[in-house]
Amino acid sequence: MLDLTRFQDAFAAALAGKDDALIPWWDDAEAGAAGLSVYRNTVAKGCADALVANFPSVAQVTGEAWLAAAAVRFAADHPPARASLLDYGQGFPDWLAQFPPAADMPFLQGLAALDLAWTAAHLAADASSLDAAAFERLDGEAFAATVADLHPSARIAAFDDGLARLWSSLRSAETAPEALELDDAASAVLILRPGLEIEIHHLSPGGFAFLDACRQGQPLAQAAGLALAAEPGLALAPLFATLIAAGAFVRLRPSSD
Amino acid sequence: MTHGPSAAPTAGLGLKPQHYAEALACGADGLWFEVHPENYMAEGGPRLAWLDAIRADHPLSLHGVGLSLAADEAPDEAHLSALRRLVDRYQPFVVSEHLAWSTRRGAYAPDLLPFPRTRPALARVADNIGRMQDALGRTVLIENPSLYMPLKGHDLSETEFLAELVRATGCGLLVDVNNVAVSAHNLGYSAHAYLDALPAAAIGEIHLAGHARDERLGEALLIDTHGAPVAEPVWALFERLVDRIGPRPTLIERDDNIPAFAELLAERDRAHAMLRAPVHA
Repeated sequence: MLDLTRFQDAFAAALAGKDDALIPWWDDAEAGAAGLSVYRNTVAKGCADALVANFPSVAQVTGEAWLAAAAVRFAADHPPARASLLDYGQGFPDWLAQFPPAADMPFLQGLAALDLAWTAAHLAADASSLDAAAFERLDGEAFAATVADLHPSARIAAFDDGLARLWSSLRSAETAPEALELDDAASAVLILRPGLEIEIHHLSPGGFAFLDACRQGQPLAQAAGLALAAEPGLALAPLFATLIAAGAFVRLRPSSD
Repeated sequence: MTHGPSAAPTAGLGLKPQHYAEALACGADGLWFEVHPENYMAEGGPRLAWLDAIRADHPLSLHGVGLSLAADEAPDEAHLSALRRLVDRYQPFVVSEHLAWSTRRGAYAPDLLPFPRTRPALARVADNIGRMQDALGRTVLIENPSLYMPLKGHDLSETEFLAELVRATGCGLLVDVNNVAVSAHNLGYSAHAYLDALPAAAIGEIHLAGHARDERLGEALLIDTHGAPVAEPVWALFERLVDRIGPRPTLIERDDNIPAFAELLAERDRAHAMLRAPVHA
């Protein structure tokens, strides 16, 4: 009795490269192998297409053909865990970092991580941002005891070099990829979708520290302290006003919450 | 159960993100759209917003590709829940899936994979369709896949298997005429005989798409690419099927090598006109 489980395990093994796994189900091995090659190609192409779509800044730097070839190698070891491929490739940035053909492009890991963050913002829940009026009643005492929750789409990232600037130039297609350079100055971004469009905001070290603290649920006063520690002399009021205007916050709540 | 008259027998188009604005603006008679729910399993964002807007003016069909109904395990609960949320939000006139498997043991292979159509497999697939229908609170349509690999050990032909599923679960059928042409060619049977054997009353939707020759084997192996216009022999099979069973909602599917919206709409209009022509049968 050739049951469904045995067949499907054999099929999965055959897809993974074990050419003879399906022989018990084949009368005509040549026709069987030809069919297997169609299924293999479709599965590989489906994974590669999804990864090329999900990592556009990587594709701009490496070319789509290079990325598709790398994607097929990644997918063989890390198949999608679910049938929606909209955010497939969570492990791809780290995998790229140890992929030998990418050894001379160490910046790919960061670009891929930022592409993932863009996708997360793209797919995140919709929410209405707080406007400036919502913050007007916060006095010093409230400032110490209030947490400002970030918009569900908000993603932040910081780098020791100019990678976030390089990435945002790639995503906004401001410059041809071959004209771009990775500079040495630290960079950080807030990726935010207050409505339907994603907006990329460059952050100073203090701005990043402030949002990072908010993200972790720290009260505003503590976030401000961390921001000043990261960037002495930071003008907090304009930073806060800029973030509010960007739509970064959706809720104020007591820190004991 | 009859699946034919429950939906308007007009022609629709697979909806692609690059065509959102044109789709929203298009007022073609009877036009409806179909999407893969897997592409809308998001918490929020522009995809859902576009679909909200388009759904406000057009009927919508949800055509699943990832529930893996022919896997020897129950459908993924999280996937079913996500599908249920989309069904509740968009109120589609049809929900469909495939007679195939793709997910097993936690790994998804983005394809529609074959299996030996045994009696135990029939019981498993029927049980999985029942779980899907219970989770969604409605009946679904099941689509015939494209086949590329001759297998030993079938107890039933594909048309017998589909008819048994209809009997056991109350589901309907989505007949992909291109898949019939591709599978019949690849596995060496008659597309006419296949289509004639399907239970007419169960057919709730028809798919039309393009195929291509295999790059290595040429004409010997046809591939269901969804990357080209519908082939003339497939149009002929479609006309013959509609003559026999009457008009059904019919979709032009295009997922690769996607042309301008107007070009797809012209193919859709051809199908629409054929559905409106007097039935000869």
